[in-house]
Amino acid sequence: MMNASMHTSGQAAAKGRAEEAPQPAVRSRFRAKMKVVKRYRALLLMTLPGVIYLLINNYFPMLGMAIAFKDINFAKGIMASDWIGFKNFEYLFKTRDAFIITRNTLLYNVVFIILGTVLAIGLAIVLNEIKNRYVSRTYQSIILLPHLISMVIVGYLVFAFLDNSNGFMNKTLLPWLGFPEISWYSEAKYWPYILTIVHVWKSIGYSCIIYLAAIIGIDQEYYEAAKIDGASRLRQIFSITVPLITPVITILTLLSIGRIFYSDFGLFYQVPLNTGILMPVTQTIDTYVYRALINLGDIGMSSAAGMYQSLVGFTLVILSNTVVKKFNKDNALF
Amino acid sequence: MKRVWKWTKPVMAISVSASVMLAGCSSGSNKENSPAQGASSASAANETGLKPYALTFVFPTTADAKDMGLVEEAVNKITKEKINATVKFIPISFGAWAQQTTLMLSGNEKVDVIFSGIGTYNQQASKGQLLPMEDLIERYGQEAKAALDDQSPQILEAARIDGHIYGMPDIKDLAENYGFTIRKDLVDKYGIDLSAVKTIDDLDPVFQKIKDNEPTMFPTYKYSQSIIDTISNGYMDNLGDGFGVLPNFDNNLKVVDWYETPEYAKLLDTVRRWYLAGFIPKDIATSTENGTQVMKAGKTASYLSHMKPGFAEQDSRNTGHTLESIELLPAAATTGKITRFMLSIANNSDNPERAMMFINLLYADKELSNLLAWGIEGKHYVKQADGTINYPDGVDATNTGYGLFTGYLFGNQFLQYVWSGNDPQLWTTMSDFNKAARKSKALGFSFNAEPVKTELAAVTNVTNQFKVSLETGTIDPKKHLPEFINQLKAAGIDKIIAEKQKQLDAWAAQ
Amino acid sequence: MNDGGKWYQGFLHGFMIVLSLLTLFPFVLLLSGSLSDDNEIIRSGYAVIPKMLSFSAYEYLWSDAADIVRAYSITIFVTVVGTVAGLSIIALLSYPLSRREMPFRGPLAFYVFFTMLFNGGLVPTYLVYTNMFDVKNSMLALLVPGLLMNAFYVILMRTFFATSIPPAIIESAYMDGAKEFRIFRSIIIPLSTPVLATVGLFQTIAYWNDWFNGLIYITDPKLFSLQNLLNRILLDVQFLQTSQDSIAMGTHIPLLSMRLAMAVIGIIPILIAYPFFQKYFVKGITIGAVKG
Repeated sequence: MMNASMHTSGQAAAKGRAEEAPQPAVRSRFRAKMKVVKRYRALLLMTLPGVIYLLINNYFPMLGMAIAFKDINFAKGIMASDWIGFKNFEYLFKTRDAFIITRNTLLYNVVFIILGTVLAIGLAIVLNEIKNRYVSRTYQSIILLPHLISMVIVGYLVFAFLDNSNGFMNKTLLPWLGFPEISWYSEAKYWPYILTIVHVWKSIGYSCIIYLAAIIGIDQEYYEAAKIDGASRLRQIFSITVPLITPVITILTLLSIGRIFYSDFGLFYQVPLNTGILMPVTQTIDTYVYRALINLGDIGMSSAAGMYQSLVGFTLVILSNTVVKKFNKDNALF
Repeated sequence: MKRVWKWTKPVMAISVSASVMLAGCSSGSNKENSPAQGASSASAANETGLKPYALTFVFPTTADAKDMGLVEEAVNKITKEKINATVKFIPISFGAWAQQTTLMLSGNEKVDVIFSGIGTYNQQASKGQLLPMEDLIERYGQEAKAALDDQSPQILEAARIDGHIYGMPDIKDLAENYGFTIRKDLVDKYGIDLSAVKTIDDLDPVFQKIKDNEPTMFPTYKYSQSIIDTISNGYMDNLGDGFGVLPNFDNNLKVVDWYETPEYAKLLDTVRRWYLAGFIPKDIATSTENGTQVMKAGKTASYLSHMKPGFAEQDSRNTGHTLESIELLPAAATTGKITRFMLSIANNSDNPERAMMFINLLYADKELSNLLAWGIEGKHYVKQADGTINYPDGVDATNTGYGLFTGYLFGNQFLQYVWSGNDPQLWTTMSDFNKAARKSKALGFSFNAEPVKTELAAVTNVTNQFKVSLETGTIDPKKHLPEFINQLKAAGIDKIIAEKQKQLDAWAAQ
Repeated sequence: MNDGGKWYQGFLHGFMIVLSLLTLFPFVLLLSGSLSDDNEIIRSGYAVIPKMLSFSAYEYLWSDAADIVRAYSITIFVTVVGTVAGLSIIALLSYPLSRREMPFRGPLAFYVFFTMLFNGGLVPTYLVYTNMFDVKNSMLALLVPGLLMNAFYVILMRTFFATSIPPAIIESAYMDGAKEFRIFRSIIIPLSTPVLATVGLFQTIAYWNDWFNGLIYITDPKLFSLQNLLNRILLDVQFLQTSQDSIAMGTHIPLLSMRLAMAVIGIIPILIAYPFFQKYFVKGITIGAVKG
């Protein structure tokens, strides 16, 4: 059963390749395209609400990116304020901190992406493997809980663990294990681990939901067939489950790469309780910008920071997406 | 990718036309001091000869005052009669203040009178969000000006930036002194002789006594962010941001780096000594609670802080313990202190004249001032025999409908009643305090940080890393102070100081 | 049954129980902290069982019940309306993007994705919503900005549609003479309950937790949502703690136990709502049947 539309678009594509051909070919390519549009106009119409929303919510404000290059004076109005080139970007690069904040942001994100993905998939698989649906759902609810509380409160809870005198670690756990007390908030070296644990604790319930939904969508027939062939449960997981959710994994990873210069402000600012000594390992681009601008209040500078983060993420995603496209066109973002 | 870029063009086209719309809508025009008509209705002007106008008044608050609507009504009665204007209150919580007001002033929202200060005055003025007020003061603000000048003609001048005045300082404590506050019951119990304490180094024996006898309590704690950050201001005029200061409020107008001064090093040594002796808890740098809360919980005996007349009474009320304060450093008035709490007119006000008239009323009208500060007499407070006021029967701090306790926001605090427990003559004492306070040589100077904003961002981050740890004694100053100073230099503090000196010299030459 | 056997299941359960306990432990501290006497926390820290039991935080919240109930109802209303409306728009956008034959598919996908990377910033967004569209202090301000739909969800849904709906189904629907919208409504939606439930859950959580929109667009206390209320308090506390003017404030800083209590009551409704979504985390109609 041939899909008539596919035939037409096939023709259009073929005609498209003849771009260098004389006028008539171009005109009929255009007409063919319009035919396709007419045929699928219902689909296009369906996209309208979303497209309009993004226009209002995202694209109109995007014009404001110009603020990054301006010295804003509200008496003159945003449009009429002076252009000052790249001056608003200087504070991100001229400082000796520039290397540290970039390094921290990147390293944490790489670890978070890899660790987060592996653990979330693992957890989703485990949850799916549990026979008793009700119990499985209860576990799911529990691991989602951390996502629901704000990082400020998480900061208090971490303090409850790590406080010098009254914290759970120093007061109960370490003595029980026979280790000496540690002054947690004065030793920077522990914090990459602490922050990673907190991040995983808070986000894994959320990200595993996506993978779980993907796994549930896998046709049971594959598993039945594999069982008949004598494959063990573990073998089934690695040969069926993981490969079949690869599109989801790819997409999510690509999206994370796009945000690789961003960080969770709450995690890096609130959880260490804004402690100065720890800054070499807890300072990221976002916290740096926040701290720098809290007294200056310069929206040009904060806009410049945002643009810097966006540009890097954007470049990396385009690159990664191109690489992914080479392997499997469907798994790419666009 | 070629196909992709082709289709971004229509998107761009729509966005461009949107930008045209935005340009028209955003607050581009600067409202000149022309007699604006405002929201005039058909009803004739009343006997003041003015057309009716609806003012908005934006101010910060923490408490959720349930009866604010009632107070607003009562306020409107007065303002309608006197300046034919109604006032709409827009209270915004302190925590959200900077964020929300920056946004409000960016667009063309209807804002007339707005509180300004708490460190954002300079920025807002230089970004054009506040209206220059000198002419308006001349025409409609004479009573307010007189009240300020009575304290000192230099007060209003302190708010001048680049020749213009963008805010009127609230009349309250316009200077601060610095000292030590301790629980009175402990003073009595251990026979502590406070008169022997003349400098902070004299406090060691006091702390030792408390440490030896009160095992569950720490002798001292931070008041704000570190042990000495508030009293540091008693040694110098921090010229706004603390990067480049005027030691002793004078120094012949030569700006230096506070963090390199011998006084600072000595303060750090003292705090470090206290930390090692166990007078300060080991986790002080990370604690999520501040001095008054910890005092309330009974975990500390004292703190060092800046003060004002009535401070001990105020903090006694807040902590639930009777406190005693002694002064260690005398009172001083700086631009920073004065411009911390002010009233301004927003750039996009439709009727700056009426806004100024309202501000003027706040400095002159006793009834109005008390309404805003304390609420409605009989409902939220009653007068007492000694001249102070207190809650009516059945009302207390937890169920009052208007418990702001932020009277200093509303113009002239000296017009307001004094709360019970304070000296009934508080304002007279305060006024004398203000007048007697030493005036910094740089009073009236405001630093424009724009030329060095890159360096400022960098040094702010360096300070964030070291300041609190050093000033709470958590790390060793012998090792880390030089490190701190070096990093400040690397971040460009000398450039900031040079720029500040340049501006200060130019200002002094006028 | 293809379940791997008793030992396998036992191992899985054991693993999950340990994990659950570890996850829950901080919450025990949170709950117990909200039930503790404030001064006691400052003195001796958090404990699994409160050293000095005190219901004062919840009593205080109860006395403020009118505000809290109103905040609750605002949050619930916004969450339900926002999730339903948002889900619809997202699905309407994602489905066509998943269809290979759809014209301008690539550019549209780019148009959507681009918004994830580039952001105008807070001030321009605020100006658009207040100058161009006057949403300040209205319900719209809680529903629309940033939350109604999100490129991430669109891409998620598109992926699911593309991988889980075989073109064969659509072709046979065409053969039966069905129009696009009918196909969408009667075939695609029922087949996609897992992803709809997923995105629906995410939307719900996002709306429930949002305090930011409330912070910048709402000054009328009658429109404060629950999280907005809590976060204003937390921000105030942070401000008062670091500001040197707290001396001048003379105001009461909200108790630590009260902040914790507000966090607790913020979580509970989601816990109740979550099982509702979980019902849909099943496969819907077996695709295999259609294939046959």
